[in-house]
Amino acid sequence: MNELEAEIRYLKEELDRKKEEISDLRKLLGREIDREFAPPVEELSDKELADYLRDTIPLINGFVETKPDIRAITSHRKTLGRPVVFLKRALLKTTFTQLNASLDLQNRFNRDQSRFNRQVAALFRTLHVRDGRRAERLKALEEKVAGYEEDLALLRNKLEGLNAAARLRGGSADEPPR
Amino acid sequence: MKMKNGSLMTGAGLAEAVGEILRRKGIQAAVNELMKREVALGLRKPTLAVYDHAFHFIGGAQKYGLTMISALKDLFDITILANRDIGYGKFREWYDLDLSSIPVKVIPLPYFDERKAVNLDPALVSRDIENPFHRISRESGRYDVFVNNSMNEMVFPLACVSVLICHFPERRPRSYFYADQYTRVVCNSRYTAEWIGKKWGFAPHRLLYPPVDMEAGGIDVPKKKIILSATRFEPEGFKRQREMIGAFLKLCRQRPEAVGGWKFILAGGSQPGNPYLAGLKDMIAGEAGGCVELKVNVTAAELKSLYREAALFWHMCGVKREDPGETEHFGMTTVEAMQNAVVPLVYDGGGLPEIVDHGVNGFLVGSTAELLERTLALIGDPAKTEALGRAAWKKSRLFSRSNFETTARSIFGEVLNLLVSPETSIPG
Repeated sequence: MNELEAEIRYLKEELDRKKEEISDLRKLLGREIDREFAPPVEELSDKELADYLRDTIPLINGFVETKPDIRAITSHRKTLGRPVVFLKRALLKTTFTQLNASLDLQNRFNRDQSRFNRQVAALFRTLHVRDGRRAERLKALEEKVAGYEEDLALLRNKLEGLNAAARLRGGSADEPPR
Repeated sequence: MKMKNGSLMTGAGLAEAVGEILRRKGIQAAVNELMKREVALGLRKPTLAVYDHAFHFIGGAQKYGLTMISALKDLFDITILANRDIGYGKFREWYDLDLSSIPVKVIPLPYFDERKAVNLDPALVSRDIENPFHRISRESGRYDVFVNNSMNEMVFPLACVSVLICHFPERRPRSYFYADQYTRVVCNSRYTAEWIGKKWGFAPHRLLYPPVDMEAGGIDVPKKKIILSATRFEPEGFKRQREMIGAFLKLCRQRPEAVGGWKFILAGGSQPGNPYLAGLKDMIAGEAGGCVELKVNVTAAELKSLYREAALFWHMCGVKREDPGETEHFGMTTVEAMQNAVVPLVYDGGGLPEIVDHGVNGFLVGSTAELLERTLALIGDPAKTEALGRAAWKKSRLFSRSNFETTARSIFGEVLNLLVSPETSIPG
């Protein structure tokens, strides 16, 4: 084994040992590997669209109401804790009173928006169900049409056979042409 | 001593170069650099791992991956990566391949095992859970070349050079989508290539048609009055056997003088308790004369015998379907029929138009009505049927196992060049 080969083996063993300690792929690669993808809704097939609606509707049904709460302000300090909390709460109460007015407005808007989202989701679901029923009816009709097309193809073939037979008979010496 | 790009190949310089890669691109890139140098210096044979999450099932895609392994075993030290235990006997029984010299490494996936899932379906994996296939991703980093033969784009390749064999892009990019992270993407048909472009937004690098080897005894064997269908009885009815049986029964009822003596035989595999198959049995139960026969789970020898005797081949998978995944991505059984001079009458969609040249070596049809018209024309013209059968046999040579092996070796020759190329430092 030459010097280079020995060096490669040594470095590889070292790195392999370090690698074993890392479980996260991102750390192995030194970069992020996952990305967000938005599906092209207008290109989805019926099946893909059904899956998309199933996954998406619960997301838009969500609603978060935000409002600051001064009770969240606490302290672990034994002696200084209580006055500090008191001062902080007093200071923030003044700020929160003004902030709350704006947040009430925002929350009201969020509630309306959420209600609207739920209605849109319900509408989507209804349209999808109706579309499914129409697709079923269309499928049944297509099957009927396919059946008629088959009948037509067989009749056409039979007619061709009869015509050929008639031509053959018409051309024979025993029978005059009709 | 210097590599082609001028990087130092002495022991001292190497440590510095690898240290720099470690800082800039992470530990995997540094390991890959060392592995690359081992191969470039001829210190060892390159290693290659082939993964398929469905190796424990019989299937066309699995046959594709394993035949590829058989073709490459002289070029690489190969390891088969599977998620479930599988014996070499199965490979021989299912695909007539002797891979006993290739080690199989089983990597269990607890997420699926805990749920007792038979199919390790990637569609079940969402962003809300940790990617169970990361175990395979980690393993991929131990080899010079990693080949993902699964219909599973959730494995992130860590090897220096990676190849994704895409049999069809089943899902659009969503959580854990890594198909575009592979060095090379190989597809099985132009139809698949088209949908890779539409769904994933890039073009595959190479096309490698699947290997088909079903020749059962030359093309001069006298044919019987048999129309054959050979495809799985899928519970969802994707393969459209119901439509074909309906059309043939109509043919028998309305034109008995034209199809006297002809039989329609449908051969295919099925799982137990298949309601679709039960429905097909009901369809033909009341028919006098037994002009339709179902042959379920036949042996390879029986199937070969059917191919040898049949004159015409019907395959309508894809008719009246909107989802591109429900159409034949290639159509191996159509090629199998053609290898036995059986004239194909197949649906004009999916990968089938790449196999059949309309009017030259078979017919492409858009509906069951057209299928009946073409069939009647061929039944009435045995000379034309024979000529088309010969042309079909000739075309089928394109998809032979030897052609597959030659192309596979060419593709992996390029992969080897990439591996030793100083420019290749993937991932990073």
